[in-house]
Amino acid sequence: MKWFRSLKTTMNLWTVLSVIFVLLVLLPNLSIIVQFFAEPNENWLHIREYMLQNYIQNTLILVFFVGILTLFIGTSLAWIISAYDFPMRRFFQWGMILPLAIPPYIGAYTYHGILNYTGVIQTSLRNQFDVTVNQQYFNIMNMPGAIFILTIFLFPYVYTITKAFLARQSTALVENARILGSSSWRIYFRVVLPISRAAIIAGVSLVILEVLNDYGVVSYYGIQTFTTAIFQTWFGMGDLQSAVKLSGTLMVIVLGILVIERIARGRRQFSFTTTKVKLLQPVKLEGPKKWYAFGFCMFIFSIGFIIPVIQLIYWATMTYEQFFSIDFWQLIWNSVSVAFIASTIIVVMAVVISNFARLNRGMLAKTFPKITILGYSIPGAVIAVGVVTLFTALDRQLFGFYEWLGLEPTLLISTSLFMLVFAYVIRYLAVGYNSIESGFDRIGTNFTEASRMLGMSVTKSFFKVDMKLIRGAIFGGFILAFIDIMKELPLTLILRPFNFDTLATKAYQYAVDEMIQQAAIPSIFIILVSGIAIYVFHHVLEKE
Amino acid sequence: MFVHIRNLAFKYPNAKDNTINDFNLTIDQGEIISILGESGSGKSTILRLIAGLDMPTNGNIMVGDHCMCSNSTFTQPEKRGVGMVFQDYALFPHMTVEDNIKFGLQKWSRKDKKNRVGEVLELVNLEDYRKRYPFELSGGQQQRVALARALAPKPKLLLFDEPFSNLDADLQIRIREELRRIIKSTGVTSIFVTHDQDDSQALADRIVVLREGEVAQIGTAQEILGTDCNFADRMPVKPRVLSRV
Ligand SMILES: Nc1ncnc2c1ncn2[C@@H]1O[C@H](COP(=O)(O)OP(=O)(O)O)[C@@H](O)[C@H]1O
Ligand SMILES: [Mg+2]
Repeated sequence: MKWFRSLKTTMNLWTVLSVIFVLLVLLPNLSIIVQFFAEPNENWLHIREYMLQNYIQNTLILVFFVGILTLFIGTSLAWIISAYDFPMRRFFQWGMILPLAIPPYIGAYTYHGILNYTGVIQTSLRNQFDVTVNQQYFNIMNMPGAIFILTIFLFPYVYTITKAFLARQSTALVENARILGSSSWRIYFRVVLPISRAAIIAGVSLVILEVLNDYGVVSYYGIQTFTTAIFQTWFGMGDLQSAVKLSGTLMVIVLGILVIERIARGRRQFSFTTTKVKLLQPVKLEGPKKWYAFGFCMFIFSIGFIIPVIQLIYWATMTYEQFFSIDFWQLIWNSVSVAFIASTIIVVMAVVISNFARLNRGMLAKTFPKITILGYSIPGAVIAVGVVTLFTALDRQLFGFYEWLGLEPTLLISTSLFMLVFAYVIRYLAVGYNSIESGFDRIGTNFTEASRMLGMSVTKSFFKVDMKLIRGAIFGGFILAFIDIMKELPLTLILRPFNFDTLATKAYQYAVDEMIQQAAIPSIFIILVSGIAIYVFHHVLEKE
Repeated sequence: MFVHIRNLAFKYPNAKDNTINDFNLTIDQGEIISILGESGSGKSTILRLIAGLDMPTNGNIMVGDHCMCSNSTFTQPEKRGVGMVFQDYALFPHMTVEDNIKFGLQKWSRKDKKNRVGEVLELVNLEDYRKRYPFELSGGQQQRVALARALAPKPKLLLFDEPFSNLDADLQIRIREELRRIIKSTGVTSIFVTHDQDDSQALADRIVVLREGEVAQIGTAQEILGTDCNFADRMPVKPRVLSRV
C-alpha cells in the first residue's frame, strides 16, 4: 500500500521526463558496453596484438605531461594573480581564461604555420639575416609539440578553478603564513598547493578529459592515440566493430581516471561555502618583483592568446575576399543553428532533471545527476561510436516501417542531423546541468515550498517562481553549452551528414589540406564568439 | 477535534533512526499550539509532515474532515489548505508585497483579490507598503508580510517555523503579543514551533514539548512551565507527564 502511495505521489511529469532523459543519456553508452563484449573479429585481434600498446602509451604520455604542466602553470598563475598586485593584474584575472577561447586544434595548425619553412619566423630569418635553420629544431608536429599545444590552451581550467578557490577559501591560512614571515615560494609550496589540492585535482582532471577527447591536435600532428585509432579503424578500415572495442577500452581508461580523481581528492570535496567569505587581499609588489610577475603572466598570455590570434588575423587579411561568400554564411548558419538547437534541448533537459533531483528524496534523485554529467567525461569519438551503433540498430528496427511509408532511404535517422544534435546533447548536457544546478543550489527549496503552500503545483511554482530566480544560471548554462558545441570537432566530423560543414570542421579541413590561410577566418569567428562569452561571463554573470 | 495526528513517524533516507517517532496530537479549532524543543529535536520536520512537504513513513493526519495523509493516501501540499510562515519568510524577491500576497489567491476574482489584499495588509498594519519589494523592508515588516501572505487564502491551519528567530529581542516581545492578537482575531488554528519557552508561554494555548522526535509532555503553559520559577527550573525535564495522547 505504501509503495503504491509513494509511486502515485512521485509520479508526475517531472519524474517521467527525467527518467526518459536519463535513459537517453545512458543508451549510447550501454550500446558500447554491450558490443564491447561481442565476439572479436580478426582485425581487432591484430590491433590488440600490434597497435594497442602504442595507443595506450602515447595517450598516457600526453595525459601525464599535459597534466603536470597545466598543474604548475595553472596554479602558479592563480597564486600570483590572487595574492599579488602588479601591473595589469585586473586584466590578467580574466585574460588568463582567454586561451580557452582558442580550440587546441586551431592552435595546433596556427603554431605549425608560424614555425614551418614558409612561416613568419623562418622567412624573417632567411630574408633579414640570411639564416637558414635546421628544420629539426622548428618542427612542432611531434609529441612535445602536441604537449605544448594542449598545455598552453588547456591550462585555464586549472587556473580558474584554483583561483576561485584561493580567492575565497584560503584567506585565513595565507594571511597567517604571511604574518609568520614565510617567503612567497614557501607559502606557494607549503600552503597553497596542499590546501587547494581538491580544486587543483578537479581542474587537472578536466584538462585530462579534454586531452582524451582531443582529435584535432593529435591527428594533425600525426600522433597515434585512442581517438585517432577510432577514426582510422572506422573510416580507414571500415571496421566499426573494432572501433567499438577501442571506445570501450578508452571508456575504461576514463573510468580509471575518475576513480583516481576521487581517491586523490579524498573526502575533501572542494566546494564554495555560501556564507560570507573573506576575500584574499593582494599584496602590492614593488621594484623588479612586480615586473617579474608581470613578465611571467604576459609571457603565458602571449603564447596562449596574442601570438596565435595575431597570426590568424594576418592570414585572414590575406584571404578574406575569398571567404565572404555564400559558403561562409552557410557555415555560420550551420554552426549557429545546430549549436542553438542542441543548447536549447540541453537547457530544457538540465532544468527538468535538476528540478526533479532537488525536490525529491530517494535513490533516483540521488543517482540521476551523476548519470546526467557522465557524458562530459566520455570522449566525443566514443559518444559518436555509441550513437551511431544505437541509431543504425534503430534504423534496422524501423526498416519495415520506412518501407510501409514508401520511403526510399533505408537508413533514415542514422544519416540525419538529428543524430548529430543528439550526440551534442549527451556530450554537453553536463555543462548546462552544472550551471543550472548551482543556480538551484543558490536559491534553495524554500521559495518552491512557499509557493506550494500557497496552492501552486510543482510545475506552476517552477514557471512562476523558480525559473524567474535562476534565469541567470539558465542563460549561463545555455551560453557555455553553445560555445562548447561551436568549437566541437571529433563528434561533428564523425556524425555530420554528407556535405554538412560547420565552422570547426571547415577550419580543420582547410588546415589538413594545407590551406592554412583559408582556415583563419572560420577560426577567428569561433575565437571571437568564445572570447566574448568569456568576457560576458567574467564581467556580468560573476557579479550576479 | 479539528486536527488529528496519529502515530506519525518519519525517517530521512540518509538517517539511521527515525527522526520522528510515534507523534500524536489533537488540536481544537482556533487553538494555538506551540511545539517546544531544542534544536534538532525534529520540530521543523513535524511541520513539514503536516504541510505535506515530506511524506511520513507511518501515521495519519486529519485536518477538519479531510484525511491529509494515511498509509494509502497522500494529499499534495498545494491541495491541503494549510498555510505556512517560513523561518526565513521566503518572500518571493522578484515580486512586490502586493504580488506576494496575491500569489496564493490565483483562483479568486480580480475584485476579491484586491479586497483581500487590503484586508490582510490592514490586519498586519502595512497598508502603505503594497508596492515595496521584500528587500526594501525591515526584518519585522518582512515577517508581517509573510504572515499576511499565509493568511490571505484563508487556510484551515497555519504553521509557523521559529517565527522570531530572525528578530531582535525587543522586537520579538512586541511582535509576540501582536501575533497572538492577529491569530486570535482571524480564528485560524495554528501551530508554531520554537526553542524559546518565553515564546511558547506568551503565545500558546497549549504547549507540546518535543524531545528527540517524541512527545515528552503536553499541557498548558502553566502546567508545563509553572508560573514564576526561575529559568533553570523551567527547562522541561522529566516532571509531571500530563498527557500522553
Ligand atoms: N534533509 C535532512 N536529511 C537528513 N537529516 C535531516 C534533514 N533535515 C533535518 N535532519 C535531521 O533531523 C533532525 C531534526 O531536524 P529538524 O526537524 O530540522 O529539527 P529542529 O527544527 O527541531 O531544529 C536533526 O537531527 C537533523 O539533523
Ligand atoms: Mg528547525
